[in-house]
Amino acid sequence: MDRAGNSKKGPVGPTLFRQIATRLAAFTLLFALLDVGIVVITYSRQPESLAQELLTLEANKAEGSTTLAPDLLAGPPGAEHWAARYVESNADRSSAAPLRVNAPTGILMDWTRRERVPGGYRISGVRSVVQDGQQRWLFMQFEGDGIRPYVPVIVNEIVQHVILPLIPLSLLLLLFNVFAVRRVLQPLRRAEAEVDALDPDNVLLRLSEAPEPREVNTLVRAVNRALTRLDETMAILRGFTANAAHELRTPLSIMQLSLDNLPASPLRDDLQADTQHMTRLVGQMLDLAQADALAVEPDTIVDLADIGREIVATMAPKVFEAQRDLRFDAVGDTRALGHAEAIYRIYRNLIDNALAHAPGDTPIEVTAGPGPQISVRDHGPGITDEDLPHIFERFWRKDRRKTDGAGLGLGIVQRLAQAHGGTIAVENAPGGGALFRVTFAAPEANG
Amino acid sequence: MRLLLVEDNARLASLIREGLDRQGFAVDWCETVDGAEHALKINDYDLMLLDLGLPDGEGLDLVRRLRRRQDTVPILILTARGGLDDRVLGLDAGADDYLVKPFQIPELAARCRALLRRPGASLGTELTVGNVILHSAERSVAVAGLAVEATPREVDLLECLLRRAGHVVAKPALEGALYSLDAEVTPNALEACISRLRKRLTTAGADVQIRTVHGVGYALFAPVTVYG
Repeated sequence: MDRAGNSKKGPVGPTLFRQIATRLAAFTLLFALLDVGIVVITYSRQPESLAQELLTLEANKAEGSTTLAPDLLAGPPGAEHWAARYVESNADRSSAAPLRVNAPTGILMDWTRRERVPGGYRISGVRSVVQDGQQRWLFMQFEGDGIRPYVPVIVNEIVQHVILPLIPLSLLLLLFNVFAVRRVLQPLRRAEAEVDALDPDNVLLRLSEAPEPREVNTLVRAVNRALTRLDETMAILRGFTANAAHELRTPLSIMQLSLDNLPASPLRDDLQADTQHMTRLVGQMLDLAQADALAVEPDTIVDLADIGREIVATMAPKVFEAQRDLRFDAVGDTRALGHAEAIYRIYRNLIDNALAHAPGDTPIEVTAGPGPQISVRDHGPGITDEDLPHIFERFWRKDRRKTDGAGLGLGIVQRLAQAHGGTIAVENAPGGGALFRVTFAAPEANG
Repeated sequence: MRLLLVEDNARLASLIREGLDRQGFAVDWCETVDGAEHALKINDYDLMLLDLGLPDGEGLDLVRRLRRRQDTVPILILTARGGLDDRVLGLDAGADDYLVKPFQIPELAARCRALLRRPGASLGTELTVGNVILHSAERSVAVAGLAVEATPREVDLLECLLRRAGHVVAKPALEGALYSLDAEVTPNALEACISRLRKRLTTAGADVQIRTVHGVGYALFAPVTVYG
């Protein structure tokens, strides 16, 4: 009964959020690489400032490790002749003599010197460090070649200036993206839910138009325009049905009444039976076409018990004629949302079905309620598991040699139930016989 | 009984006339709304059989016009329109019954009689089904020509059933006819009354049958039903 079932498979393709997040991540990465490139290029053009940064970095390392003598620190990678020691501000300048120091004289201060030596460069300098709340001066010197000694500085720079600012920024953007996308797509999701809730047979419904965003608004309006066109098509179909009814029924009436005027003969009886069969078939096909085109107003409240009494009263003479008994019972609140004449036809077709399929003299029990449901139960053989999948199929008959029905009655019932957004269920009743139950929507509690 | 048939299909009209003629009705026929208006002015009809889609107008509009004029002639709509809302539209316009083509003459005749048996209608004073006759003015009942003793309440009940012979009359309608609004009606008062009436009719040799439709009401059937 759920024909939307196959179209409700999991959604295909990435979500908009994922698309935006992927693009954002790629953009962040590109930005980071660009940033790194700029840092590397800038520093490689300024070896002086690189040297400066390198010594500051090493001094910071020494500052952090009070236990080790600065000499035992590893020094920059690939550095040769690494030397480091503390100098006192009042110390004899000659204490630095064993090293090839060519420091500026005067009071001690931070300084850096980079000079070319054969096979590379030599960097020396002094940094002030604070250890145990005491300011000390650290003299450092090493020789190196190429970019390798600078790697820690460059890495440090990248961490400081690229990664640290970019990561929180990207995370913030991603978070913002989650909220923004959710928020912006909310009207779309609402529209989706409304489209899902659309009853293909109730074209009176329209999607509610969200004022923004404009993209969603235009989509919703386009869907509504399509629904209107569908509505018009339905109207044409209904018009055709009415015309077809008129065109077919009048000649059938003439045929039937003419046959009555013929002198009695077996041939006349056969022809009368044939005409009646054809009349029934045409009637059911038109009923089915009308059921297919039925649009149930969503706010009409009917009393299932009233309709049940009416149909039972109408059909009782015919049922009594067949030496059968027809009983009606109402249980509890029997109000439902629906189309009275359509529900009348549901009852009628179910009673006709019971008349046709349960043997003579067994009673037919019609019940309304409790709640928005009706049921028709016969005392016939019930329905076999083998037949169960077919009983609602159009033009299906258990025994095709029988010519009294077209196999459309239960199809009409199912169609009319669906037009109400209702369901039809069939079971074998305890004690034998088939029990058909149609459930409708209940009106609002205070409606 | 004089009936007016308004039907634009000549062949169908003549078949209906012949059929109803055999059932004891006199039928005049016209093809258009104008023709119907004209005929209604000249003659008094007991019942009008009306097709809806007519060459010069809509049958329902004629029904509405007649009812606006306080014309109470019973109207039976005879149409090919069997849409979901058509019957309600017809009855709302003021028609008394609605029959969808194709139909059979016995059913049409039964419906006509039911309309004619209504209070104030042509068959309203003397109700006959099978061998049971009820004179509504004298409040007397006779079975096979012999008067039958019955309480006023039983006569009322029988009258209700006779007027709708062949049809089921709902319990509330019967109770409404038997008891005034303020009277206390015990749940099985109606049942008891029906049972007494049944016994009386059977004893008198009536050939009609009162059947119970559980949960709905009661119906009186003629000895040979008109269905099938």
